[in-house]
Amino acid sequence: MTGSFLKRNPSVPIMLGALLLVTFLVSILSEAAGGGLSTSFVKTLGMTLCLALAALAMDLVWGYAGILSLGNIAFFALGGYMIGMWLMTARTENIVAESLAGSVIPPTPAEIRDAVGGQIFGVVGSSDFPPIWSLSSSLWAQLALVVLVPSLLALVFGWLAFRSRVTGVYLSILTQAMTLALALYLFQNDSGLRGNNGLSGLQNLPGQGDVPQAQVALWFLWGSAVALGLGYVLCAWVVSGKFGAILRGIRDNEARVRFLGYPVEGFKLAVFTLSAAITGIAGALYYPQAGIVNPAEMMPIASIYLAVWVAIGGRGRLYGAVIGAIVVSLVSSFFTSGQLPDLDLGPLRIVWVDWWLVFLGLSFVAVTLFAPRGLGGLVDLWTHRRRPSRHGADLGPDRGSFREEEAEA
Amino acid sequence: MTALAALWLALGPATAQTGSVQDLLQDQGDLIEQSSRRTIQPAIDAIVASGLERVQPVLQAWQNKALWRDAEGRFWRVIERDGAEILVDVDTGEETGPANTDAMEQIKPNSGIRALIGTALVQFQLTDPEPRRRREALVSITRDPEPELLAPLRASIETEEDADLRARKIRLERLLTMRFGTAEAERVSAIEALSTDTAVEVRAALNPLLATRLEVVPAGATPEGNVARALSPGGERLSMGAAYARLVEEGLAPARPDNSDIRAALEANREAGRVGGVPLGALGDPAVRARAYDALAARGTVPPRVEDGDVEAALGAHDFFGVYVEPSSAVTDAARAAITSIGLRVGAMKGVDIGLDALSLASIYFLAAIGLAVTFGVMGVINMAHGEFIMMGAYTAYLVQQIVPDRTLSLIAALPAAFVVTFAAGVAMERLVIRHLYHRPLETLLATFGISIALQQLAKIIFGTQARPLTAPDWLGGAWILNDVVGISYIRIAIFVLALMFLGFFLFLMKRTRLGLETRAVTQNPGMAGSVGIDPGRVNMLTFGLGSGIAGIAGVAIGLYAKVTSEMGADYIVQSFMTVVVGGVGNIWGTLAGAAMIGGLQKGIEVLNPSNTLAAQTYMIVAVIIFIQFRPRGIIALRGRAAGD
Amino acid sequence: MSTLLEVSGVSVSFDGFRAINNLSFRMGAAELRAVIGPNGAGKTTFMDIVTGKTRPDKGTIRWGEKGLSLLGLSEARIAREGVGRKFQKPTVFEDQTVQSNLIVSLKNRRGPFAALFYRPGQGDIARVEALAEKIGLTAHLARKAGELSHGQKQWLEIGMLLAQEPRLLLVDEPAAGMTLEEREKTTDILVEAAKTRAVVVVEHDMEFVRRLNCRVTVLHEGSVLAEGSLDHVTSNPDVIDVYLGR
Repeated sequence: MTGSFLKRNPSVPIMLGALLLVTFLVSILSEAAGGGLSTSFVKTLGMTLCLALAALAMDLVWGYAGILSLGNIAFFALGGYMIGMWLMTARTENIVAESLAGSVIPPTPAEIRDAVGGQIFGVVGSSDFPPIWSLSSSLWAQLALVVLVPSLLALVFGWLAFRSRVTGVYLSILTQAMTLALALYLFQNDSGLRGNNGLSGLQNLPGQGDVPQAQVALWFLWGSAVALGLGYVLCAWVVSGKFGAILRGIRDNEARVRFLGYPVEGFKLAVFTLSAAITGIAGALYYPQAGIVNPAEMMPIASIYLAVWVAIGGRGRLYGAVIGAIVVSLVSSFFTSGQLPDLDLGPLRIVWVDWWLVFLGLSFVAVTLFAPRGLGGLVDLWTHRRRPSRHGADLGPDRGSFREEEAEA
Repeated sequence: MTALAALWLALGPATAQTGSVQDLLQDQGDLIEQSSRRTIQPAIDAIVASGLERVQPVLQAWQNKALWRDAEGRFWRVIERDGAEILVDVDTGEETGPANTDAMEQIKPNSGIRALIGTALVQFQLTDPEPRRRREALVSITRDPEPELLAPLRASIETEEDADLRARKIRLERLLTMRFGTAEAERVSAIEALSTDTAVEVRAALNPLLATRLEVVPAGATPEGNVARALSPGGERLSMGAAYARLVEEGLAPARPDNSDIRAALEANREAGRVGGVPLGALGDPAVRARAYDALAARGTVPPRVEDGDVEAALGAHDFFGVYVEPSSAVTDAARAAITSIGLRVGAMKGVDIGLDALSLASIYFLAAIGLAVTFGVMGVINMAHGEFIMMGAYTAYLVQQIVPDRTLSLIAALPAAFVVTFAAGVAMERLVIRHLYHRPLETLLATFGISIALQQLAKIIFGTQARPLTAPDWLGGAWILNDVVGISYIRIAIFVLALMFLGFFLFLMKRTRLGLETRAVTQNPGMAGSVGIDPGRVNMLTFGLGSGIAGIAGVAIGLYAKVTSEMGADYIVQSFMTVVVGGVGNIWGTLAGAAMIGGLQKGIEVLNPSNTLAAQTYMIVAVIIFIQFRPRGIIALRGRAAGD
Repeated sequence: MSTLLEVSGVSVSFDGFRAINNLSFRMGAAELRAVIGPNGAGKTTFMDIVTGKTRPDKGTIRWGEKGLSLLGLSEARIAREGVGRKFQKPTVFEDQTVQSNLIVSLKNRRGPFAALFYRPGQGDIARVEALAEKIGLTAHLARKAGELSHGQKQWLEIGMLLAQEPRLLLVDEPAAGMTLEEREKTTDILVEAAKTRAVVVVEHDMEFVRRLNCRVTVLHEGSVLAEGSLDHVTSNPDVIDVYLGR
């Protein structure tokens, strides 16, 4: 807690440097700059950085505060929805204005609005803008909502859950239920967000129709890298001070923190809300690169992926979350790209696109069982970090506390 | 049409038996041969009114285009047997030898005439000696009620001996009287007699009696006819737009050009880049556009715009009424009272029906959750792969069904097979993974989730993504139908029974067996249990296997009721966990209460918003989250130190 | 001597079992008190009630000069009012250094935002060093608390409580599992602490209680059986009955 920021966070300059290097290399090698890297790869990379940012936020709650939140994917998707609303409205407005420009009688604003509404909501059998879209023409308003909506949801839900002292597995199930409830709600056509169609065509930036996708992909890569860098510094600052010490205290031994006089619920609420805000930003950068956001993104399986990345990277260390998300996501897209030849094992034929999930699931079990430090354990080998000898005891009585293997001596 | 009924009543059976069918047909020969929908009715009436015994087969032959006329103009029925055509005498019904149809003329009634003949035939069928034919006649009348059927129907009630058919005839007579009766009193009494009947056809027959039309009168006046209610434009029953459209229809107000009309008119009347004195480019402004249109209207080229104020004034100058199409107010009053009374009864029955639905949903949640209640409640182990065990059970049943073709046998074999397969899977999982993660429930959650992903994907690889059918035996196929409102399928009853059996089995296992005793001991104090010679490892393994085995059997039940897919387990996992959490951990009665609450809540919310089960699930989950606020430890909670405070 | 804590007529039961039965108890502002009693006498439950962890079924708890009622306040609020609690098992932040443990415990503003912008000043560092001196952990400031020995963890926890600057210290079996020297040192720390604040020590071990040399309250079946000096209560026939069995 004492000493300068960089001394307390030696990983910050390394992470920022690596980020800068990768972004620079990709930029000069990209299609936009005349290089050989395909646009889809640049996009995958940009999306991966967003996932890393989301994993970082997940590590704040799961790695530092011991709250296994399965609701973060909901914040992620909500961020995407919020920016998607502006992207769809603004772009459809442009298209409609263009198509009506040729007509003999110029359209009134109301006619344009109706035509835009018909274009966007035609798929769900409506043509009126629902009330929640009332700010959708304003980029700044929707950008604010990217942060505000997930934060508000986290604040309300967290207040309810933490206040009644729901912890551990119960809290995880409850956050999972929240995600499911939101997904089911959005699946309805009259939810106002186009039901199971979700928001689509998000890869097209309004007013930038002439810019090639290769360039757009690069812009988003830069944006994602900047967001990840800022997020990393912010998270490092948060966890390396007294706030972080208290979070870790809550993770390992909530009762002690409480009896020291700290309002545990307030700390949990603060970190949960912060995590939601960061995740919302990550989602808002991710979905324009993915092109589409729909409620299926929030199904139970997705919500645990975030935890999986953090666990594979090694929880309770920020770089672990980033490494976990990047490695799993890149390896995953490698295996599912169909480039890998099938493996013929006599009676069994391993089609990687299909079998990849099986191996991911099992490798995840293996990490949990045999390598609680995850990939971060490799970093420990290099930095000669020792683990304490506690004869199998955890570092505290709480459900989310560090295991002996996770801790540092 | 009433002439026929009058004839029937006047002639009666006493006047029958005179004359011959052939004479009768000859009397009407021209009309029959003419075969015109407009002129045929008197001929049919006359034939029916004769009361002759052989009339029915002749009418049937006519309807089936089997009535022929020979060169002398005599009518014959022609029947076909073994490819040969045989002449049949219309009076005696005797076969008189092969027919030379080339020399004969076939009577070809068109479909309209055939329908009229059909109606006439119904009266014969109503008194047919075969109950089956009589029942068919009733069904046909119900489907296609006609006023002229009332008299024969009434006449047939007297002689009806079958009690069930008699009751049906009486109800049908009331339904027809209600609509077609001549006297007001008989209609009202028919309606009153039906006011406790909840059948769909009664409700369907009552509603048209209350049909209304919209009437407009000058303000202050009252319309003629049977007035249902006064309507105010903009109110719940009459929108402003509809009210104004009615005024326009009646010629009481000018038509209102809407935005697209205005746009089209402006486009049509432009001249040299201007319209109504305004340059085209400026028409994007609504105010400018209105000015241009008004200029056109002033020239008389287009109908003037109607402002909101004009609409309101026009509406204000008139009163609107809903007037019953049915002129008799006594009939409409009775019908309203009957609908209210039936509505109450139907409401009560719907309540019962929803109760049954909720019960069966609760049974499914209970079945899905009971295995979790064992592993999570008793052992404190959270098993995200529980849903996949349900899926394994269902696929096991599917495989058994592929091997054993007999549905009943395969179901009987599938239950233990599913148990064995998932028990083994559960034990393997406990030994390989969960054993190493006791006291680390969150890590267990993540690890078992990894297993869940792998199992789900494996199922997808093995069985494909499309749903596999798990067919129930025929004796489970139907539904137990109490009346038109209340009904429940046998599968749901079977699931309910299965849930009860599991409750009993579980209670027996926990309270009466050695394993139950050891499980409870290990739950309460593993250290102590270990020191009195109980092997906690073995107990945990068996308990986990048991919970997984129960999930497998639940999978068979759920597979029968829903489709078997690789994702079916995932659909139930969150609800199952909520059932356990809401009910209170570590107590089977809690799980039961949780299932009842979640099932009841979901069905209850669906009633409020019946079109949307997705929204119902959303609100149900939100309700559960709020419920947890008030009872964080569930409905049936352990208190004090034992709960680990 | 002014009254700091006054517990009167408190009862609580779990599933029909009366853990605390009409208990009344009073503490002065600077006093050392030992609470003894056989297993199940309600010693820990008594602490739970005072610190807000368990809510009593009936009774009142008054605190401080103004007679503030502690009933219904959260644990954190009660702690901020000046009640420090040491658990039976050593309860420290094992993943953090001794210094960090002490800094977190220092009396400061407790809100999340205050914590977010908090930086330890010179005064704070000095106070931590003084505390470490007092509990004998100066040499271990940079070590992870999880690596300390059992006794050192107990002292660290007491140090954390002192850093909190409580007016009342509730200490649950501090000497359990300690060596003889460690016990002596623990006694010294507690006696020293009681000079400026109230300290309640729950203890099984009579030797340890005797060394504390203070007023003793005997709990039995959830209520006070006897109170007075150790010699006084040990000669009480009821107490002898309870300890030796009937």
